[in-house]
Amino acid sequence: MMKWAIIIIPVSLLMGNRQWMTVDVLKITVPEVVVSAGKSSVIKVEVEIMKGYHIQANKVNDDLLIPTSLEFTEDKNITIGMQEFPSAKNFKLEGTDNFLDVYDGVFEIRIPFKTIAKIPKGKYILDAKLHYQACNNKTCLFPKSIGFSISIKII
Amino acid sequence: MKSIWKSLFLIISVTLSMVAKAQEEQPMLGQMAPSFTLKAIDGKIYLLEQFRGKYVVVHFAATWCPFCNAEAPYLQELYKSYRDKGVAVLIVDVKEDKGLVEKSIARFNFSFPVLLDEEGTVSTKYAPAGVQPDLARHEVPLASNLIIDKEGKIRFYSLLNTIAFDAKLTKLKEKLDSLLSSK
Repeated sequence: MMKWAIIIIPVSLLMGNRQWMTVDVLKITVPEVVVSAGKSSVIKVEVEIMKGYHIQANKVNDDLLIPTSLEFTEDKNITIGMQEFPSAKNFKLEGTDNFLDVYDGVFEIRIPFKTIAKIPKGKYILDAKLHYQACNNKTCLFPKSIGFSISIKII
Repeated sequence: MKSIWKSLFLIISVTLSMVAKAQEEQPMLGQMAPSFTLKAIDGKIYLLEQFRGKYVVVHFAATWCPFCNAEAPYLQELYKSYRDKGVAVLIVDVKEDKGLVEKSIARFNFSFPVLLDEEGTVSTKYAPAGVQPDLARHEVPLASNLIIDKEGKIRFYSLLNTIAFDAKLTKLKEKLDSLLSSK
């Protein structure tokens, strides 16, 4: 399951007027998780950030900043555990002595879960959203959310 | 073969120097600053035109913008140093809730008007044509600073994505000093 969110096509090309779509900088990949009824496993959300950009980390060192966060729909047959975000990297803000906690490149968010013993076999889809705010060393983009699906197959 | 390489080198050099020059140039200089009427965080209504006869420093900001927050203390400092010299300072906060902006004001103790551009329409007006075409128009001026002169013309525009970030507002103050000394 993969979703690219790089959209840089000017709408003007499509509609003939001068409006622009917003650039996004993320690619999200979530392999399907296969698990037996009553067992535990881990959903691995891989996030790839466009070169030159970073997003704020899950824990930020300034409460005015917008941390990266993940939300998804619940299923009564699946108990979701605590989300595990990676450690942040330090990013020096150009022209200042300020450091930001950020993610760049490729990183993984791990979500442990457990299925109930009586869960019927088949495929379960959880709808998810990643909320983030991206910058590069010259500018910042407005906060955005990207939707994607998590597929869990019960065997 | 040699001449092909020479031509290629020449083309690359010219292109690079054109890009560098474009990056140094500030947009919209000499143009009339787009008019706006916005409500401030304290509920008062401000028109750009009411500042005619003063130099106006305008900063486009959002509370979550690290560049804006790094600059914020220097902007307040600039206001205190220049308010008696006929200089007004305004922040135009782009597309945010009042509550968030109040949190930012509490941290930085701004004593000048902070205006709420809730729909991003003012910010859109200040986005120079052709700059950062891949961004939504209201996003382009974020973290930028302008000086608008006594007649309402743009005399300085540090569009963040075309220049190096200047948190301490050194270039802006140089320009302001030069404008004030030439009056």
